[in-house]
Amino acid sequence: MVKLDYKHRQAGHCESGVTSNLLNYYHFQISEPMVFGIGAGLFFSHLPFLKMQHAPTTSFRVWPGMVFNRSTRALGITTINHRFRNPKDAMNRLNEVLDQGIPVGLQVGTFHLPFFPPEYRMHYNMHNMVVYGYDKETYFVSDTLMEPVVEISYDDLARVRFAKGPFAPQGRMYYPVKIPAEVDFKPAIIKGIRKTANNMIGVPFPLIGVKGIRYLSGKMRQWERKLGPDKASYYLGQVLRMEEEVGTAGAGFRFIYGAFLNEAADVLNQSWLREISFEMGENANKWREFSYLGSRNCKKRGKPEQSYDFLADMLLEVADREEKIFRKLAKIN
Amino acid sequence: MKESIDKSEHPDDVPGYCYNRELFYGFDKERGFTRELSYQNQSNQVIIRQSWDALEKRLEQVQEAVRSGNVSPIVYYMEKMLMELPMLSAYMGLNRLRVRWHMTPAGFRRLKPPMLERYARLFEITVEELKKPGFMNK
Repeated sequence: MVKLDYKHRQAGHCESGVTSNLLNYYHFQISEPMVFGIGAGLFFSHLPFLKMQHAPTTSFRVWPGMVFNRSTRALGITTINHRFRNPKDAMNRLNEVLDQGIPVGLQVGTFHLPFFPPEYRMHYNMHNMVVYGYDKETYFVSDTLMEPVVEISYDDLARVRFAKGPFAPQGRMYYPVKIPAEVDFKPAIIKGIRKTANNMIGVPFPLIGVKGIRYLSGKMRQWERKLGPDKASYYLGQVLRMEEEVGTAGAGFRFIYGAFLNEAADVLNQSWLREISFEMGENANKWREFSYLGSRNCKKRGKPEQSYDFLADMLLEVADREEKIFRKLAKIN
Repeated sequence: MKESIDKSEHPDDVPGYCYNRELFYGFDKERGFTRELSYQNQSNQVIIRQSWDALEKRLEQVQEAVRSGNVSPIVYYMEKMLMELPMLSAYMGLNRLRVRWHMTPAGFRRLKPPMLERYARLFEITVEELKKPGFMNK
């Protein structure tokens, strides 16, 4: 039996929360927004040709695994990343690492997670959690979404680690192994901000970043005419679910990113960043308002309270705000 | 904005999901960025509900199709498990075309017991239930 003295803390976003908790276990103080910002987690893309649950995919974040990899690399932390072919190897390796006294981050699918709220039981394969001990067939899990720490059986854990479908985790496990004594946050933060700014305004592709928000806005105007009220409302609901539901801490990560900029202003000693972080906060509130009004549309099908044109205009405004913010951020040095 | 999101606005709503609090970040000019534990607010409950309502509606349509003999019960259980064809074939370890063949009544009739067993285990039901889903008796 192994049960490490791991401190469970809830977080807004699973992956950056897991990374921050894992590093804090080794007395390396770093907050969740900091991990998210350095890992350049903020993103936007709308891919109408890629359907998830019968509706187009909208993403507010980068691919899974990127936040952990980027943030630890930028801070000079050595990590180990494993994928496996079969569940048995994956579980044996997990036990070995736990025996060495190392808490392990896992990528899992949420559909078969027994402790997960049933409302969230989708085939979502990008969830992250930490295993910090085991006793025979029971594993002790810290999931940043859940209030208490939870337990999971051997069979269930093997099953969720080998969930199938898009972004299948393939038993991925990861953990930091070597943390340098002295870490300079400044270059890491600047690099992270530049990367995010580039993702949002620098990619010459219309479905990504600020252009992606405008593209979604254009698509949204056509939904009702092309798809009928029911499907239009379902599509809108899908955008809002990706924005607000699991693990975004609200407004599609914009709040977390604002909190990161606020913290970065202190670390870098650049007060203009604080002003921008407040702009980001306002922008996040605008996203909130969008999802609030949008959800009323979803509720009253047939007779929407706000027209899709109105919501699309709101998105355009948000896109303008974000473009302004990231134009300024791109000049950081 | 904060007030308008508040739960008091739709008293007729039955809150669905409120037994696990999550961490939310927030922002307002006076207090700056905040973190607080709370349940999903009312507008989020609406959109969570919407996806499950949509699933129910889809299931009804599929039930009708199974009853009229247009598709096999595998389609029904696939939808019930929120799966789609690529995911089902990945879980079964079969070619997509083969799974699609099993989705037709003719293909389903010719399934051998071991294969039925595999489908039943994936859908967490018995073979009898797979052959004759509960809604067929009504």
